[in-house]
Amino acid sequence: METELSLKKNLYMARTSVTTESNKTGSWRFLRPKYEEKTSPCSTACPAGEDIARIEMLITQGAFKEAWETILRENPLPGVCGRVCYHPCEGRCNRREFDTSIAVHTMERFLADTAARNETKPALERLPPKGKRVAIIGSGPAGLSAAWFLNMLGYDSEIFEAMPEAGGLLRWGIPAYRLPATVLSNEVARLESQGVRIRVGEAVTASRFEELKTSYDAVFLGCGYWRNRALNIPGEPGQGVEDGMSFLRQLRQGAKPDVTGVSAVIGGGNTAIDVARSIIRLGGRAVIIYRRRREDMPAFDEEIESALEEGAELRELLAPVQIAAIGSDCILTVQQMKVEGLDRDGRGKIVTAGTSLVEISVQRVFVATGTTAVEAWHEPPPAAEAGDQHNASVHLYLSHCTLQQEQQGTPIIYGGDLTNTDKNVTQAIASGKQAAMALDTLFQSGADAVRERLSACLVGEGPSLSMEIYMNGPRKERKPHIVSYQEINTDYFQFEPRVIQPRLLIEERTSSFDEIELKISANTAMREAGRCFNCGICNNCDNCYLFCPDVCILRGRDMTERHIDYDYCKGCGLCVVECPRNAMTLGEEEKL
Amino acid sequence: MQLDALDKELMCSGHVGCPGCGATIAMRFVLKALGEKTVMVLPACCWSVIAGPFPQSSLKIPVIHTAFETGGATASGVRAALDMKGDKETTVITWAGDGGTFDIGFQALSGAVERNEDFIYACYDNEAYMNTGIQRSSSTPYGAWTTTTTGADWKKLRKKNIVEALVAHRIPYAATANIAFPEDLIRKVKKAKAIKGSKFLHIYASCPTGWRIPSEMSIKIARMAVQTNIFPLYEVENGVNYTINYKPREYLVREYFKLQGRFRHLKDTDLDQIQEMVNEDWALLLRKAGEHA
Amino acid sequence: MKKVLEGSHAVAEAVRLARVQVISAYPITPQTHIVEILSDYVTTGKMVAKYLRVESEHSCMAALIGAQSSGVRTFTATSSQGLALMHELLHWASGARLPIVMAEVNRALAPGWNIWNDQTDSLAQRDTGWMQFYCEDGQEVLDTTIQAYRLAEIVNLPAMVVLDAFYLSHTYEPVDVPEQDEVDRFLPPYKPAFILDTKHPYSLSPLVTPNAYMEMRYDIAMAMDDALEQFDRVEEEFAKIFDRRYGAVEAIDCDDADIVIVTSGTVTSTGRLLLEELRPRGEKVGVLKIKLFRPFPVEAVRRALGKAKKVVVVDRNFSFGASGIFAQEVRAAICNVPGHPPIFGYIAGLGGRDITVKLLEEIYFDVKGSSAPRKESIWVGLQEVNRAT
Repeated sequence: METELSLKKNLYMARTSVTTESNKTGSWRFLRPKYEEKTSPCSTACPAGEDIARIEMLITQGAFKEAWETILRENPLPGVCGRVCYHPCEGRCNRREFDTSIAVHTMERFLADTAARNETKPALERLPPKGKRVAIIGSGPAGLSAAWFLNMLGYDSEIFEAMPEAGGLLRWGIPAYRLPATVLSNEVARLESQGVRIRVGEAVTASRFEELKTSYDAVFLGCGYWRNRALNIPGEPGQGVEDGMSFLRQLRQGAKPDVTGVSAVIGGGNTAIDVARSIIRLGGRAVIIYRRRREDMPAFDEEIESALEEGAELRELLAPVQIAAIGSDCILTVQQMKVEGLDRDGRGKIVTAGTSLVEISVQRVFVATGTTAVEAWHEPPPAAEAGDQHNASVHLYLSHCTLQQEQQGTPIIYGGDLTNTDKNVTQAIASGKQAAMALDTLFQSGADAVRERLSACLVGEGPSLSMEIYMNGPRKERKPHIVSYQEINTDYFQFEPRVIQPRLLIEERTSSFDEIELKISANTAMREAGRCFNCGICNNCDNCYLFCPDVCILRGRDMTERHIDYDYCKGCGLCVVECPRNAMTLGEEEKL
Repeated sequence: MQLDALDKELMCSGHVGCPGCGATIAMRFVLKALGEKTVMVLPACCWSVIAGPFPQSSLKIPVIHTAFETGGATASGVRAALDMKGDKETTVITWAGDGGTFDIGFQALSGAVERNEDFIYACYDNEAYMNTGIQRSSSTPYGAWTTTTTGADWKKLRKKNIVEALVAHRIPYAATANIAFPEDLIRKVKKAKAIKGSKFLHIYASCPTGWRIPSEMSIKIARMAVQTNIFPLYEVENGVNYTINYKPREYLVREYFKLQGRFRHLKDTDLDQIQEMVNEDWALLLRKAGEHA
Repeated sequence: MKKVLEGSHAVAEAVRLARVQVISAYPITPQTHIVEILSDYVTTGKMVAKYLRVESEHSCMAALIGAQSSGVRTFTATSSQGLALMHELLHWASGARLPIVMAEVNRALAPGWNIWNDQTDSLAQRDTGWMQFYCEDGQEVLDTTIQAYRLAEIVNLPAMVVLDAFYLSHTYEPVDVPEQDEVDRFLPPYKPAFILDTKHPYSLSPLVTPNAYMEMRYDIAMAMDDALEQFDRVEEEFAKIFDRRYGAVEAIDCDDADIVIVTSGTVTSTGRLLLEELRPRGEKVGVLKIKLFRPFPVEAVRRALGKAKKVVVVDRNFSFGASGIFAQEVRAAICNVPGHPPIFGYIAGLGGRDITVKLLEEIYFDVKGSSAPRKESIWVGLQEVNRAT
C-alpha cells in the first residue's frame, strides 16, 4: 500500500534538461568580427620600425626581457637610441590628442639599462648559416646594424674600423653627457657576443676596398661623413679657427682643451649644439652663430633648448663673412640676414639685410656647418635619371641605401650617412637593416626581387622596415592600416601625466660630462608604459570577452589566445567597438 | 579589465537574446559575481524567452520562472523554504525587467522589501516592455518613442525613480549599476550578496532593438548614460547613506539622445529641457550624498 | 483527543499536524481565524514553520509556488475576493505541478460587499487544475486537510479544501484531533518530485512552445484522472489508522429513493435533517452529498443516481447565463446514461441566506409535483423588491 501510494510517474512538465548550446545562433550573423591587429602610428614613425605598441604592452606586464628583445628584433642599439634618438615616434603618438605622448625613448632606455644591469642575454630567432661573407666598412650605427641583421639572416660578416675602438660617430662624435662610453661599449660587447666581428684599427683604403671585393661576397660601406665642410671665407683655415667634429673627437679621446673666454660656434646642426654645450662644460662661453632662424635649425629642438638652458647664446640670421686673428683673439665678421619669401624647400628664404657688417670679438671660432665624405669612393654612384638599373649592372636606389653590382661583380651597398637624407643614428640603423634585407634578397632571389620583397616588409606604409616581418614573425599578420586617434575608444583611458625623466640640475650639468638624464624605476616605467593605448594590438584587456552577450569569445588556457566561436557569434559587433585599441575588425559576413 | 569574479560561465551560448542585448550582458556579470550557489526567480520579461524554451535553459543555475508581478513574492517563498531547510548559503535573486519591477511587480517588490526578505532583487532596466514589442512602462524616460507613445504622443512624463522608492522603504542596500561598468557592477552584486535582508540593484541594460540603436553601440550608450548623469552610479545603505560611485565628466545629454532612434523626434528645445531635468536630478542626488557639484 | 473547535481551528490543527513548513497568508473575512491561529502556532513554537505575512493573496500564492518549488510543504487559506485575486497563480501552481494545499472559505463575491456564504468563488476556479473538496463539518475539514496533502503529493497537483463561511468556519463542534504520531504514520515527510537545486540546476516553468504544451496539459489531465483513484486509496489508508472515511460522494438513503437531492458543504447536514423529517412520512427521498468536485466523480455520481426517478440539485452558487454549477456537473455526468432521470436545478442561499430544512422541503414537494423541470434553474426564496428605488 505504502509503495503504491508513493508511486510517482515521471512528470511531463515544463522543466529544462539541456542547455541552449544546440542553437547555433551564428546563423543569425551578417557581420563578422575578427581579431585583426593593425599598425601603430609610432611604429611607422620610428625609422627602425620598432614594434612600440607591443614593447609598451610588455613593459606594462613587467616582461622587460621580452620587451627588450622585441626592440632588438628591429634595432640592435636600444641603449644608444634610448638616449640619442630624436624619437619621432612620440610625435606621432595618438595619446598626444588625449593628453601627452608616451615617453617612448625613456622606456627604450629603461629596457636597455635594465638588460645591461642584469647582463641579460637575448634569445632571438636566427636563420641557418647561408655560407656567405660580407665585409662592412665602418663600425658606426649603420655598420653595426648591418652586421647584426646580416648575422640574424645567417651571414658571416666582418666590420673594418679605422679607429682603435668601435662605434664611429657614436663614440667620437657625440659627447658623453648624451651618450656615456660605457653604454656604447656595453652594446658593442653584446653584439660581439652574438657573433658580430669587429676588426678595429684597420682602415680601409681604396686598394684594400678592391681586395675586399674579391675576398667577400658583398661589401657594405657605412663609413660616414667625417670631413668638416669648410666655410670658404677669408681667415679659414687660420689661427683660432677649429673644426667642430675634431673638437668633439678630442674630448672623447680624453683631451681637455682650454676654451676659456668666448667661443663662436658656427652652424645649426646637432654638432654645433654639441660643441657649444661641451665648451660650457669645459668652463668657456659659447655663442652659436646661425645664418637662419632657430626654427630652421636642423639640430633637435630638445638639444637647442638644453643648450640655451645651460647658458649658450644663440644669435640668429648672421652669416659669417670673414675671420681675422688679432693677438690671441679672433674678430668674426658677420652679415645680418633677413627672411624674404620662401625658398624652393618651402623654408623661409634668407637674404642679406642691407650692407652693414657686424664684428664679433671672440677667443676662437668652431666651424660646425656639416660634414662630407672623407674619400670620393665612399660616395655611392649618382642616381641616374632613369632610376634603378637591372641589366648587366644593378643600381638600386633604396630609401636608406644604394645597392650597386657591376657586371655580375661583388655587390656593394652604401648606407648610413653616405646615403641617408636625414643623417642621424636611427636612420643609420635603418639603413643597415635595409642593406641586410636587400643583400639577402639579392642572394636568394636576385636583384629584381629586392624592391618587392622589401615593400612587403614595410611597417604600415613605410618607409620603415621590419626585420620581424621579413623573417615571417608574428608581426607579419599585422595589417598596414595605421590606427588613428578616432579609432581609439578613449572611454577606457584616464588622463594621466607623462613621466618626467629626472635630470641633473643645471649647475651639475655645466660642470661635468656626466649623463644628464637619470634612470627611472621599474614601477615608473610600468606606469608610463601603461598609459600607452597599444594602438592596433591586443593586450589581453578582455573587453571582447567580457562584453560578449553570447559568451562566444573563447580563451586559451594561458588567457592570451582568444578566438571567436562563430557557431554562436551573432555578429553584434560589441567586441569590435569596445576594443579600446582597434585590434578587431567588423566585416561583412560571406554570403552563403 | 580583469574582474574579481568567477571565471566559469553560468550563462550559455545559443540563447535567443537579440544581438547586442544589454540584458544578457547584465545577467552574465551578475552570475559571475554570485556564483553557482544561486537560485533565480524569473518573472515574465525578455529573459523569460532568452533563458530558452523547454527543454533548454541558457542558465546553469536553478531558475523558477514565475508570473509577471510576482518577483518579490516568489523569491520570498524560495527564501523561506531554503531557511526552513537550513540552507543559509544559497543566494536568492529575482531577475526582473523594468515592467515587472516599476509597474506590475511593484507591489510584490514593496511587500518583500517591507518584510526585509533576505534576497537580491535585480531589475535590468531596458526602459519599456521590450519582450512584448516596445510598449511604454513607467521606466520609459521622458522624450522616448515607444509603440504606445508614437508620433506627437512621445512620452512626456518622467521616468519613475525606482531607487528612491526603494530607499523610502529603508532597504538595507540599494544601488544603481550599469553594464558598461562591470567592475562597479560586480562589486555591488558581491556587496549585496554579503548583506542580510533585502537588496535592490537597478541595472541599466541597453536594448538595441527597442531603442533603435545599432547592436554594437549597446555598451557605448550605456556608458554615456552614466557620463551624462542620466543614470548616475550610486548606492544607498539603510535608506540613509548615499555614496556616488562615479563623478562624470558631465557630457551633454544631447550626445546621448542623438545616438538613439527612439529620441529622434526631439527638438533642441526639448533637449534643453531634458538637460535641465537631468541637472536638477543630479543636484538633488548630490545634496542627498552631502556633496557639492 | 476530542476537542470543541471552530471549523477554522480544525483547519489550523490539521496544518500543524501535517508539519507544514511554509505558510503564507493575507487576511480576508471569514478566513482570518485560520491564519490567526497559525500565526500564533508559529510564534509560540507549536509549529516549526516560516510564516510569510504577505501583502496580497496574489503574492501569497506566488510565495507558496516559490517555497513548494524549493521542496517544502506549504499552506494558505483564503476566500472570495482573495481567491479571485489568486486566480492567475492557481493556474500556475497546477501547471507547475506543485502539491500546494489551501483552505478556501466559501464567501460571496462583491459587489455588493458580502462576507457571507456562497460557493461561486471556489467554483469559478474549477478550471484551474486544483482538486476541490467540499466539507460538511469540522471533523471532515480536519481529516480532509491532512488527506489533501497526501493525495496532492502523490499526483503532483494542488488541492483546495473548501468550507462554508460561518456555517462551518465559525461554528464550534466536537472534533477528534489526532495525535501527531498517528498523522506522521499516515503522512510521510514531503518528498518532492523535483526541486530547485543548485547541485542539479534546471529551470522550472520555462517557455513552452506548441510542440510540447499540449502533452503537458494532457499529463495534468491524466493526473486528475489518477487522483480519482488515488483518493479512494488515501481514504482507505486513512480509515485504517483513524477509522473514518467520507467518500468522494456519500449516498444517503438513495437506494430506494425516487427523488435524490444533491447537496454539497454544510447543506448536506440540512439534507440529513430533511430525511429525518420526510422518511417517517413515507417520502422516498435520498440525499447525495458531493464532496469531491475536482476531479469530478462521474462514475460514483452515476451509480448513486442510477435508481432515482428525479434528481434535484441545490446550488448555493450560480453561473450567469447558464445554471447552478453543481447542476451542470451532474447533468454532464449522467447525460450519456440511457434513460437518465431529469435534473431539477434550484438556486438557494446565495450571499449567506439560510437554507433551512423547510426550504429543502418546499423544493422536494415542488419537484414531486412536477413532471419535468419548468426551467433549468429555479431560484427559491426570492423576495419582492422595489426596483424603482
